Amino acid sequence: MTSSETAEAPQLHVEDPDLIGRRWRTGVLLLIVADAAFVAALMFSYFYLRGLNTQHAWLAPGQATASIAVSWLLALGVVVSAAVFRGADRAIRSGHEGRFVSATAVALLVLLATTVGQFLQLSNFPFGVADSAYSSALYTMAGANFVHLLITAFLAVAMWNRGRQHIYTATSNWQVQLVGLWWTWVALAAVVGAFTTSFITSPNVGG
Amino acid sequence: MTTPQPFGVRARLWSRRPEVRGIFLIWAVLTALLCAFAFVPSRIMGPAASPTMDAVKSTMTVFTIAAAPVAAFVWAVALYSLLRWRHRGSGPPEDARPSMRSNRPATAVWLVVSSVLCVFLLVWGLAEMQSVSRASAAQPLVVDVTGQQWVWTFSYPAQGKVESDQLYLPVNRPVVFHVTSNDVIHSFWVVQMGIKVDANPGMTTTTNVTPNKLGTFDVRCAELCGLLHADMETTVHVVDASAFRSWVVENGGHV
Amino acid sequence: MRRLNLGTAVAGGLVVGYLAWYLAHHFLQTDKASTSDQVTLITSAGWALGFLIGIGAFHGPLTWLSGRDQSHEDETFLAGKGQGVGRYFRFTTDHKVVGIQYLVITMVLLAVGGTLAMMIRTNLITPHSGFLSPQTYNSVVGLHGLTMILATIIMVTGPFGNFIVPLMIGARDMAFPRLNALSLWLLVALVPVLFSAAFMGGIPTGWSGYAPLSDQAPPGMDAYLMAIILFALSSAIAGANITTTILTMRARGMTWNRTPIFVWGVMASVGLAIPAFPMFMSSMVLLGVDRTVGGQFYVASGGGNPWLYSNLFWLMGHPEVYVIVLPAVVALMELTPVFSRKPLFNYNAAVLGIVGIVGLSIMVWAHHMYASGWAPALNGPFMLTTELISIPTGVIFLVILGTMWRGRIWTTLPMMATYAMLWNFIIGGVTGIYVSDVPADYALHGSMFVTAHFHYTLMGAGLTGAIGALAYWFPKMTGRMLERGPGLVSFWLVQIGFNVTFLGMFAVGLAGQPRRVVHYDPAFGVGNTVSSIGAYVIGLGMLVLLYAVVVSWRHGEVAPANPWGAKTLEWTVPNPIPLENFEVLPVVVADPYGYGEGDVPGLVPAPGVPVPREPQPAEVGATGDGPDPLAAAGGPLTGDDASQGTGRELQ
Repeated sequence: MTSSETAEAPQLHVEDPDLIGRRWRTGVLLLIVADAAFVAALMFSYFYLRGLNTQHAWLAPGQATASIAVSWLLALGVVVSAAVFRGADRAIRSGHEGRFVSATAVALLVLLATTVGQFLQLSNFPFGVADSAYSSALYTMAGANFVHLLITAFLAVAMWNRGRQHIYTATSNWQVQLVGLWWTWVALAAVVGAFTTSFITSPNVGG
Repeated sequence: MTTPQPFGVRARLWSRRPEVRGIFLIWAVLTALLCAFAFVPSRIMGPAASPTMDAVKSTMTVFTIAAAPVAAFVWAVALYSLLRWRHRGSGPPEDARPSMRSNRPATAVWLVVSSVLCVFLLVWGLAEMQSVSRASAAQPLVVDVTGQQWVWTFSYPAQGKVESDQLYLPVNRPVVFHVTSNDVIHSFWVVQMGIKVDANPGMTTTTNVTPNKLGTFDVRCAELCGLLHADMETTVHVVDASAFRSWVVENGGHV
Repeated sequence: MRRLNLGTAVAGGLVVGYLAWYLAHHFLQTDKASTSDQVTLITSAGWALGFLIGIGAFHGPLTWLSGRDQSHEDETFLAGKGQGVGRYFRFTTDHKVVGIQYLVITMVLLAVGGTLAMMIRTNLITPHSGFLSPQTYNSVVGLHGLTMILATIIMVTGPFGNFIVPLMIGARDMAFPRLNALSLWLLVALVPVLFSAAFMGGIPTGWSGYAPLSDQAPPGMDAYLMAIILFALSSAIAGANITTTILTMRARGMTWNRTPIFVWGVMASVGLAIPAFPMFMSSMVLLGVDRTVGGQFYVASGGGNPWLYSNLFWLMGHPEVYVIVLPAVVALMELTPVFSRKPLFNYNAAVLGIVGIVGLSIMVWAHHMYASGWAPALNGPFMLTTELISIPTGVIFLVILGTMWRGRIWTTLPMMATYAMLWNFIIGGVTGIYVSDVPADYALHGSMFVTAHFHYTLMGAGLTGAIGALAYWFPKMTGRMLERGPGLVSFWLVQIGFNVTFLGMFAVGLAGQPRRVVHYDPAFGVGNTVSSIGAYVIGLGMLVLLYAVVVSWRHGEVAPANPWGAKTLEWTVPNPIPLENFEVLPVVVADPYGYGEGDVPGLVPAPGVPVPREPQPAEVGATGDGPDPLAAAGGPLTGDDASQGTGRELQ
């Protein structure tokens, strides 16, 4: 179908969906680069302040610290949900629409559980945000992860809902792949966050 | 394919081209003017009160002279193109011929010249950094500088509890400043001595200088620090050693 | 969706903003000092959210979530088909509409920033004029800085990157038209947030907002940081969009060495912005945490450090300088061959120069911090990287000079901007090497010298380039010629005024006047008075320019499709430009700089494709068919037949 029949061209030109998909892949990668710069800046802030230990106040005297295990558990939750969604992606590529919907639902549930967990961690830190630079950094990084999870949850709900409506097929599924790409990045960012916050006491204790 | 002429012949033919001569002439005049101008910035900076400031002033002059031929070349080509190659008319001119896409020798010369200049700037800068930081070698006087909104406080830890809101320094003795702040970032700037370092809350930074001229000079804050930033200035008194000693004693210190 | 426009957006913003204010006011503890900061932040976020709801930004994602994709009619409506002037006030996806919207916003921001500059210079006309109180003065300085930074960041890649680049690469629209509209409306949403700062104590920190001064600033600072967060979102989206468009949508046959140099410049600029602005955003998020909930990021007593802020800030701040200057200078590079009637000199070197600047620009940030004392041992290495930038920058000059060499210089307004840039940017560059030198920077940092230096680069090269680009593409964007008379008057007023202003400022800076002071030692009086007079001349010149633009836009001489005889693709489409630019997508067989190389057409018929029924402009032969995925994808990206038409070295 071309619109060259009429000089006025009342309709827009229709482009091949796969072509649009390839374009979106580039765009999503670039947006991930932007987000990665943000995450890297947070990581830099954490390590820089920890390394400087200005006025020996990186940690307040006698301050309780966050549980490293909880941080890694939350990261694990994101990783598992991303892995399950990868399975969903593989299912739709081989044409199993039903398996796609159920796997996406599982991934979504794991993700939502992790999101709730992230919220609980945020509201139950054994310190206040103003206690020390360490506390401020932990709250901020956990908050950034929470926002990541919310965005991913929105996309996951859309995946599940659209999958239910048989929008994705074995040949038309580039959106699924892109959501998978984003989800993988979010999992990576969560792991990076857990890794960063595993280093607590400052190495700089000298005069 | 014609056999290329020997380089000497080509160079001679090239140098006789009218645009080459014209641009060379403009370039020579502009370079001379810029070299003459090169002494202006350091004059505006006023008389130096330390070897550091002397180094900065000569840097300004030397860098201007180093940049002069390049700037003059750019402006010479631009000026010549306006004088000789200008098209006067309301419509697009015909395409220029020959239609040149590139010129290897020109590009190569340009890259070599800019690289050499860049290396020169770097070497000069590193040598200058070395020379201005060496000043603190022998028995420096230590001055603690504290900035707070919007005053400077100077104290002399080796002289007892001497504290002042004006800076007194003995002439020709190296000084090390330990600079910090009580609130926001300030920047400790002794204008005529060409030194500056930020006063950061929670951290101590250092800078050093050897005042070599008697007189009074200016300390200004060079980092926006709030409402009265513009008023955060004070005076440096560079005095001879005996006057400095008596000032310390008058203010309750010991020498 | 169809009834939404700027009016509903403002209404939505006000309603949600009020709601947010009401809730924040009633549910937050009022005994804490930071409550007003929290209220400000929540209210401005509510405004932005409501504004975006009101303009219809969330309509697309939500229908997508529900499984209903937009129908073809929806998309045609979104593209602004048949809506007349109304489409400029909607969430319109057509890149040409977005380009014009960006142009108008840029002009508004420049006008506000310029007015603030006039206030600064009026205050500084005598040593103790008392025109502005210190409080107001500091805020005016900060607002002038940030407004101008935002204006200059968008002034080339916004209007011309959106309007011209898709035409130039032979595409029908941007890669992501809806994201394009989103980036534009985010920008519109942040403008009131930014200026609301003026009514909440201002931003008395300068635009750089150095912590911890920004920690103790009034609630205006919250508006500032919210504006920057919104701007970072807008520019990341715009950057991803423009970069993707250039990477994937170049016309068939437009290999990398046939891509117009301006496209390279825009891609370099927005590509740099993608990682740079999120860093700025992070510094603002941390500042927000500090201000609203008592975070300790920048508070030394709590283990924070102001050097964290300055590092994050300059990690963005130096690339940002090139985000501003590169596309402007490269726009002049694009138009120099047109007005010299000669091919661009050494295209490959031009590309390498741009790439070199981009690469180095992310490694020089700490030259803004020589005097901060954060890492004195690193000053030497940063001096090295900084001075290395002079080499690729020099290449840019070589390319422009080589293009002029023995050309036929047609001194139109755009070409005059090139000459002005050659003058200004040399001064900006040479003064840059003084301050790149560590000891000299110790003497000059924080003085008016630095202010004058960066105005020579950002304004002398950047703004001049943008004005040149405006004059050059005005006929394509508006269908009318920019009036030459007022254009010339404005050009000379602005350029002469500019040099007077900032040469005077160099002098007072060398003599020792600090930046951002509300009053100064009478010894600096003459230079400042000269500077202020120059500034008024600039202001007058910019008013004349505004007059020229408005008058030409309404009543100017109707422009032919290709008034300059240029060879890039945007000049092959008729005026006014049809909704999707190209009825049939062009196929490119040579770079657009073949001046004086015989009648080598840039475009030839693709083999085996029928000539379309509608006659095309003469420059276009026949071309590919409408929905051609290959052509839209940019064809062979690696350049199998790239050797034709480029790389020729003629004497």
